[in-house]
Amino acid sequence: MIVTRKALNRRTFLRGMGTAIALPFLDSMTPALAAPTKAPVRMAFVYVPNGIDMANWNPAYEGKLGELPRILKPLEPFRQDITLLGNLTHNWGRVLLDGAGDHGRCSASYLTGVHVRKTMVDIKAGVSCDQIVANKIGHQTRFPSLEVGLEDARQAGDCDSGYSCAYTNNLAWRSDTQPLPPVLDPRMMFERLFGSGLALTPEARARQGRYRRSILDFVTGDTKKLQSDLGPTDKRKLDEYLSSIREVERQIARAEKDNAQIDPHMEKPYGVPADFAEHFKLMSDMITIALQADMTRVVTFLVTREGSNRAYRELGISDGHHPLTHHLGKTDLIEKVIQINTYHVQQFAAWMEKLKAIKEGENSLLDNSMIVYGAGLSDGNRHAHEDLPTLIAGRAGNAIKPGRRVVYRKETPMTNLFLTMMDQMGVHQEHFGDSTGRIDSLTSA
Amino acid sequence: MQFGAQGKPPVGIILDADIGAGIDDILALAMVFGLEAKREARLVSISVSRPSLKSAAFAEAVGRFYSGAVSGAFGAVGRTLPVGLRLDGKAPEDLPVITTPLSKRNEKGEVVYAHGIAKENDTAEIPALIRNALTSQHDQNCVVVLTGPATNLADALAIPGITELISKKVRFLSMMGGAYPDGKPEFNIKANIAAAKKLFAEWPTPIIASGVEIGDALLFPASSIESDFAWAPNHPVVDAYRAYQPMPYDTPSWDLSAVLYAGRPQGNYFKLSDPGRITVLDDGRTKFAPAADGKHRYLILDPAQKENIIKAYIELASEKPAVRQPRRRPQQQQVTPPPPPRPPEAKP
Repeated sequence: MIVTRKALNRRTFLRGMGTAIALPFLDSMTPALAAPTKAPVRMAFVYVPNGIDMANWNPAYEGKLGELPRILKPLEPFRQDITLLGNLTHNWGRVLLDGAGDHGRCSASYLTGVHVRKTMVDIKAGVSCDQIVANKIGHQTRFPSLEVGLEDARQAGDCDSGYSCAYTNNLAWRSDTQPLPPVLDPRMMFERLFGSGLALTPEARARQGRYRRSILDFVTGDTKKLQSDLGPTDKRKLDEYLSSIREVERQIARAEKDNAQIDPHMEKPYGVPADFAEHFKLMSDMITIALQADMTRVVTFLVTREGSNRAYRELGISDGHHPLTHHLGKTDLIEKVIQINTYHVQQFAAWMEKLKAIKEGENSLLDNSMIVYGAGLSDGNRHAHEDLPTLIAGRAGNAIKPGRRVVYRKETPMTNLFLTMMDQMGVHQEHFGDSTGRIDSLTSA
Repeated sequence: MQFGAQGKPPVGIILDADIGAGIDDILALAMVFGLEAKREARLVSISVSRPSLKSAAFAEAVGRFYSGAVSGAFGAVGRTLPVGLRLDGKAPEDLPVITTPLSKRNEKGEVVYAHGIAKENDTAEIPALIRNALTSQHDQNCVVVLTGPATNLADALAIPGITELISKKVRFLSMMGGAYPDGKPEFNIKANIAAAKKLFAEWPTPIIASGVEIGDALLFPASSIESDFAWAPNHPVVDAYRAYQPMPYDTPSWDLSAVLYAGRPQGNYFKLSDPGRITVLDDGRTKFAPAADGKHRYLILDPAQKENIIKAYIELASEKPAVRQPRRRPQQQQVTPPPPPRPPEAKP
């Protein structure tokens, strides 16, 4: 038998008029008779601020996950896809000898694992673990990493008791003095993923009338040509993928239209939806596309900034998030904190659903990922830095055995987890931050 | 700074003890809380070298007994200090010195000395615990006290950067171990000869060693247990003492000397040897070699001070916990400008 089928290049793009759309993982990218191509492992960190009500986060049991506590209830459908980790600690977030500023410290040390300098001027942290990975494997993808956020990207000023806003508003640090600010605006993100790489001014956009049309229109020729070469399964995958891009476009256009009709003095970047859930969905949809098309394997997602005072009026909560977390044990305030915590998890769960629905060979995109959802504080009322709320969604390509709650010994550094995760990305470091070793029981049942 | 207005706080004590093997470790632990009550020192970390959950549970129960005296000096204010526990090695038989107090119940059937340690992950990983405690201390305002085998401290030395951290934060290591100037192999050294060798060779600060001869010569009196602890109707140290051997008995005070010197180095309770180097021989004997640039010294008993020393042991071991004023966190500062409602202060 002569096999003539030629495998589709993993780096095939649909191109047209300054647009380049990367493709998702397709069966036809595997050479005929070759062993199935192993999809890459993706790593992401989703950070929520001000701690979490731990009484409604931690199950009362260890081992196999059973009924989930109230805040985690939205993740019930994904019980077999998540691993809950207990007792992980970030010592460098603690007061130690630096006084007030737990919020500034805990977010800046979260992925860097270092003692950050208390300052508003000459900031100093360390290279974050996502960037260590990005530096090593980033050349394999279009973007070494993506930094995404929903709230605030100010880089100067005092955001917590003498800690620069650079500490609270970034998760990723390229060097000890260079944070990577998150992209908040969906339009900016979209252009970064699919545009020419040149950010157009709104005037230029209007002049070109470009956004009255879909970017998919510009790549019609390439799309048709590709579709004719694909089997039915790949055709369906491609259709779903392009539809998801089109849906993101529609959402952005809708947000832009809505923004034009609301208070012009509102401090919202162009294209940022006023609705939190919609903003989360848009950004997570684009992260999904980026991961699916292997545009990047490393993502940080700062849901809201540490110390956030956002009011969740959509939940009927007009108090700021941060003041609520200093509830002094008042049950009505705690209830509101729980509602906010749960609301965040709901958005995350909706994202998980999408990741799980995307197939990559025998696995799903979620299976091939390890997405940490967590915070740099556990009890926000006391500013506690031990037993940090931490879950990992996904299996890192079957390396992680999920569906369990694993509780480590007290004072186990969070950086031990990150060191272990870096291993899964093929990046092996002897130490990271204040690590004392790797964590066990993550990759073995 | 945490104690900016008052300057440096009292010296922090990092205690690694062989809780559960005898009574002197337990008396030594009580002395640390005595120093804390008198505001002469603070317990900032406790770890247990005997690989038994009950040993860790007893240490935590004693900490809870002294409640307000547990400083929570690092981490969140007001939390109970995590207890570090060595897990490898064969779990020893738990002796009545700890099992009796732990199982004591009142007339209602309730446990008298509560603790929260039921499984391994209720205890802390020791190297991280000690390192984290060190990071919370002002420079040269910490003393490490070792009253058991050197295993845990030798392990801690393996953490990257810890030698520099110890040099920066720790004044000296006060340890019970060895026999000076010479003698038979001593229990703590013999328990892990390799770790003791490593400790004497690599520990970066001065080491003050208390030999077995000091504790042999100074007996803690049973009469004190009968009278000086009576302020508490239930006292875990008293119950441990009574369970260890049939009363009345006076007990050698080996580990107590290490705590007394750590807390009151200027107290003139002991004489110090000239500087030198302590090495550990393969059979567990210790050897002291004078050297002008040596970092090691050992305690020498001055017979004239015997009475004073015993008095200090009793005074500190039987001290009541001080009634503490609630500690306030540094004022919570505004986090996000401009926040309409000012965040309330976190509870102390």
